[in-house]
Amino acid sequence: MVEMNDAHAMKTKGARGRLRRFFSGIPVLGWLLGALVAVVLEHYLGDPLVDRIGLDKIPVLFGAVIILKKPLMIPGAAVFLLLIYVIPIAVVARAGKTLSNRLAGALMRFPIAVPALVHLGLLYGAIHIWSDVSAYRVLTLKLTFVAIMLTLSLNVINGYMGEFSCSHPGFMALGAYGASVFTVLLFSSDRLFGDPLLPEALGPFLFPAGLIFGGLIASLGALVIAIPSFRTRGDYLAIISLAFLFIVKSMIENLEFVGGPRGLSGQPNYANLPTVFIWTVLCVWIINNFVRSTLGKALNAVRDDEVAADAMTVNTRRTKMVAFMFAAFWAGVAGGIYAHVLRYVNPGTFGIQKLAEVLAMVYFGGLNSVYGSITGAVSLSLLSEALRPLEIFKWIIIPLLLILVMIYRPTGLIAFREFDVRKVMQPKSNRDDEV
Amino acid sequence: MRKGLVFVAPLLIALGIIGLMASPCALAKAEVIKIGINAPMTGDIPKVGEGSKYAARMWLNDIEANGGLEVGGVKHPVELVIEDNESKAESAVKVNTKMITEDEVLVIVGPQSSKQAVPAGGVANNYETPMISPWSTNPDTTKDRPFVFRGCFLDPFQGPVVANFITNEFGYTKAAVLYDVASDYPKGLAEFFKQAWEKLHGKGSVVAYESFTTKDADFSSQLSKIIRSGAEVLFTPQYYNEVALIVQQAKELGWQNPIVGSDSWGSAETVELCGEACYGLFFSTHYAAAGATGKTKAFIERYKEKYGYVPDDVAALTWDSLGIVETAIQKCGKITGKVEKDRNCIRDAMAKVEQYDGITGQMTFTEEGDPIKCAVIVKISDQGEYEFYKSVCP
Repeated sequence: MVEMNDAHAMKTKGARGRLRRFFSGIPVLGWLLGALVAVVLEHYLGDPLVDRIGLDKIPVLFGAVIILKKPLMIPGAAVFLLLIYVIPIAVVARAGKTLSNRLAGALMRFPIAVPALVHLGLLYGAIHIWSDVSAYRVLTLKLTFVAIMLTLSLNVINGYMGEFSCSHPGFMALGAYGASVFTVLLFSSDRLFGDPLLPEALGPFLFPAGLIFGGLIASLGALVIAIPSFRTRGDYLAIISLAFLFIVKSMIENLEFVGGPRGLSGQPNYANLPTVFIWTVLCVWIINNFVRSTLGKALNAVRDDEVAADAMTVNTRRTKMVAFMFAAFWAGVAGGIYAHVLRYVNPGTFGIQKLAEVLAMVYFGGLNSVYGSITGAVSLSLLSEALRPLEIFKWIIIPLLLILVMIYRPTGLIAFREFDVRKVMQPKSNRDDEV
Repeated sequence: MRKGLVFVAPLLIALGIIGLMASPCALAKAEVIKIGINAPMTGDIPKVGEGSKYAARMWLNDIEANGGLEVGGVKHPVELVIEDNESKAESAVKVNTKMITEDEVLVIVGPQSSKQAVPAGGVANNYETPMISPWSTNPDTTKDRPFVFRGCFLDPFQGPVVANFITNEFGYTKAAVLYDVASDYPKGLAEFFKQAWEKLHGKGSVVAYESFTTKDADFSSQLSKIIRSGAEVLFTPQYYNEVALIVQQAKELGWQNPIVGSDSWGSAETVELCGEACYGLFFSTHYAAAGATGKTKAFIERYKEKYGYVPDDVAALTWDSLGIVETAIQKCGKITGKVEKDRNCIRDAMAKVEQYDGITGQMTFTEEGDPIKCAVIVKISDQGEYEFYKSVCP
């Protein structure tokens, strides 16, 4: 992928090609360092600069929110973005090119865990300082992370396995309620469950257990539909999984001990930004390893031709079941985090609208691709924040975009691309010299 | 050369802007009072969002006509921040967070339905920003949240009101209930009605307690059961689209007795969809449009003239909530421009609002955040108008 880009850059003429060549050969580490410098700059110089250029506040989501609300501030926001983000990132990344390449090269000599942790540490540092500016950023980030997990887990079924599953909000609901019941019952005093059973100090440490519990409940739900429905394929699975979604919703509506249609509130505030970030990283890492493993390849084989896969000794039934339950588990974990971010769940949330949202993210971003899921989740989350002031027209623009993507890139923006962690972190200067 | 231009051009623009902005900032102005409106403009119930938005705009027009909101002798300009919560819980939370931290509103009016008001109220309370939900009836919205208020009465009050009304008016002792089990409002109200009825007439006096699920359209089996049970009156706390179906189907099956409803009948659509079948029926609500007098009448007429239809209860309650906010800000005495301080001051003033004379009745607030106010029993007249019948106070 990288070689292709470089070669492409060589061929393209004009300013764009030159710009691209100017910035080629910078490793991810370099960009991360640039981002870190930018957010530190914003943290310390943001407010004075904002006063100087006549903005009210630091443009919260790169100006996306004010574009439609206060068009007069667009030039100010553009200047801010340029001074705080574009120029510092470009300068640091370009100037530190040799250094960051050497650093990346040195890191790669350690076991893979070391450079991975360094990169993630830098990424989290940048995110943390960035989100420190406003609580709105923190919330948007958390919900975007949840969207990434959901999209990725649905991609395992709809992309890698090639089935069309509609039950994802159902799994999410199971996970959300599972994890909520776990934490509310054990650690918080509540109208429905009464006093906590365990001391509250233990709560944050057992929160992962709660999330895993929620995920396991979702997997159990997946098993329930997998047994009868994997005798069928295609449309039939779509219909059965849709039915499952409605079953889960009505079941929770009729379960009085979790509040019925009124919903369940009072979840303790455990889902802070680092927790959500760590779970998202875990999710991306594990799902990425899963789809690149033998089982993942078997899954692709089943998608492309089940009979042929069977002939090649792939246990198709087991493969499908495992993948389905695995995806449901992560949807459940995402649901659990979602419930603790909002600190309230009700069954009405997990309906067709949620399904449409997740499906849109998967197909917009790209099938069969971890990059694609991340892109889809992040871009649609940001877009829906930015277009909020348009009210009803937002629901015309987003579907239109989706239609356009489907026409020009039928499998989504970044489909069928492998996410190779080692390759991403590698230094890039050597290859540049060769070229 | 070109590369240089790429960098230089924006810098020039930046310098120009700095020059432009530097001059007019020096003038001292009265602090702007920002009020957030968190409403469902899109999603399941866009009509509710529209009603809230229109009522808020009308209120703003009044304030602007006065040259601002006068607090302690200073006229402050008012700005409304209207945001769409898409009728989703997560969006309502995002909108609240954004309005509190980015727009720095002093008060939030909304969200309307409980599924958004409960989580959004949590955010408002955490950031110590007063919030008043005009329409949410779920007790959790305001429970243990000193900064969250509501503009309507609660279901534990409305249930007994209806039960008492039926008993006094008709003298019946056997009632039937038909409600949507999947929707929180009808379900809660059905339960409170049952409790109140059984308290009045003893156990087993609710002879049929039938349920259905949202979007059901055929109620014949439940209605047949209700008719067979020998009930004398049917209580159905449903929304307008279901009310029309239930009433019409009941009449077709031979039900002759009264059908009584709750404030969810209050939409103008009820009569439009139901037609003559609904004439003569009663329901409890926040205010009656037909035969209204004084302030209420003035509001309805202005709204109708401006937007072309009779406002439903959401618009009226939003109007009143804004009125309460206005009163609280004025009682606060001074807007300092320090957001935290002003918010606390407004909250304290709001918890002490006494006998506020709104268009949906007189309201008194307590520290709990729930108003003490009267309910209205409305009769649907033979012209299909909502006529005031009587008022029931706690």
